[in-house]
Amino acid sequence: MRSLPELQRDFVAAALFGDRAALHALGVVSGRLDAAARIAIYRNNVLGNYRKALGATYPVVRRLVGTPSFNTLVDAFVRAYPSRHGDVNRYGGELSRFLAAYAPARELAYLPDVARLEWAIDQANIAADAAPLDLEALARVPDEARGELRFGLHPSAALVASRHPIFRIWQVNQPEPHGDEAVDLTADGDRLLVLRSTQGTTIERLGRGEHALLAALGCGANLSDAADIAAAAEPAFDLAHHLRHHVAAQTIVSFRVRAPANREI
Amino acid sequence: MPAASALGATAGIGLRAPHVALVRRDRPAVGWLEVHSENYFVDGGPALAALEAIRADYPVSLHGVGLSLGSADALDAEHLAKLKRLAARVEPALISEHLCWGRIDGRHMNDLLPLPFTGEALRLCCDRIDAAQAVLGRALLIENISAYMRFDSDAMPEWEFLSSVAERTSCLLLVDVNNIYVNAVNHGFDPHDYLAAIPSEAVAEIHLAGFEDNGACLIDTHGARVAPGVWSLYRAAIARFGPKPTLIEWDTDLPALEVLLDEAATAQAILERSDALVA
Repeated sequence: MRSLPELQRDFVAAALFGDRAALHALGVVSGRLDAAARIAIYRNNVLGNYRKALGATYPVVRRLVGTPSFNTLVDAFVRAYPSRHGDVNRYGGELSRFLAAYAPARELAYLPDVARLEWAIDQANIAADAAPLDLEALARVPDEARGELRFGLHPSAALVASRHPIFRIWQVNQPEPHGDEAVDLTADGDRLLVLRSTQGTTIERLGRGEHALLAALGCGANLSDAADIAAAAEPAFDLAHHLRHHVAAQTIVSFRVRAPANREI
Repeated sequence: MPAASALGATAGIGLRAPHVALVRRDRPAVGWLEVHSENYFVDGGPALAALEAIRADYPVSLHGVGLSLGSADALDAEHLAKLKRLAARVEPALISEHLCWGRIDGRHMNDLLPLPFTGEALRLCCDRIDAAQAVLGRALLIENISAYMRFDSDAMPEWEFLSSVAERTSCLLLVDVNNIYVNAVNHGFDPHDYLAAIPSEAVAEIHLAGFEDNGACLIDTHGARVAPGVWSLYRAAIARFGPKPTLIEWDTDLPALEVLLDEAATAQAILERSDALVA
């Protein structure tokens, strides 16, 4: 008799990978349906669940390739990238990486970046809440310590950069009716900020310096270093203007003056 | 373990995302609401805020689909910790999970997969239920699933496996009457034999849902009204167990909220008739 781990391994091999020896080893009671028909019910249920779940996370990817091709690519993705959580909502973050190596979609060079954008949107919707930046506390920071300020971004904030015009691609593939659907695929790439605010989740196009600034702050750089990085990316970068904007928009929601103890070593 | 339920023996509905705004606005007259625990395993955001707002108006039950109590893999401590954190936030009347498995060698199938009814599987499930209840500090309700497969290695019928779990652990039971009906048709047994084997005192909740007949077997789609045969079996279940909190579940092709409320009203009428008989 197969042990429980063996039976469960055989079940996955038979249901997901069509392994006939594994199906035989399962010892399925046939009755009105044979073992192959019974395992097919599970194959359809499991893959159907993932097609639905990933279709909800990646509606634009699905629209770009069409539902039949999307279902085919989801099935291949599921086999290659196992779900690691009992919570299916956490599944699918590696779709972009999968698509980058997925031969049937090679002509859609922008597809992996669109997937990254959709994942960032999906994750922004479930990220932690955060209070706005405490401006009074910030005002009490002495001038000489300002360069040492380390700003923290909202937990939902995600930067998505692409050499393709993915924001336009994303926009014209929304379900609501829209005007001009043309996309110039040779247009410049995008540097995007995905952020959830009280108004919902938004996508904002960033300038070169702004993107460099937020990326540096997001990595824990202090204000002085982040400002240098932004100025290097965009010589005429207006630091004060962009800081004010991202504090007001609640991209920046916290600050500390020193690095945490474990990072000072 | 604390008392099983702050719910009366009333009918509730499964609350799904497309109905949340309407329920918040109209506050329909329904006894309680049940949500999938995993949908609220989030750090923040609008969905969790909406659940907390709804919780102020209705008793809520947390129904899990991903703990995988019957998996040969170790119990997922992170999953359990998230459930515990959610329970502390929502203070649910009930917390339930399924008697099934979903994960092996770290791969999750995110589905409710059938266990062999063996002594080995029974011991494993009981150990995991004990461990999960110890972490949560309260009783879990354990639900019977629809299964499309039985194994040569089965050493007992499903109802013996389920009632043994209730006897060997301090868990309670969530009896899904539709799943009993579906399995009875698909595997050829008398569903009343199943009901007769369940220890009444352990039953804390009942689920009702709709199935689809694909010609070869019944598929538990949660995508239709409760079938007449399932309503009959539900009446038999209430006659045997007494009135119990009863939930209308609908997941596929979700209809208008009114349809769910209408199904819940049917269940409520059966519960009230049963109360009248008892009185």
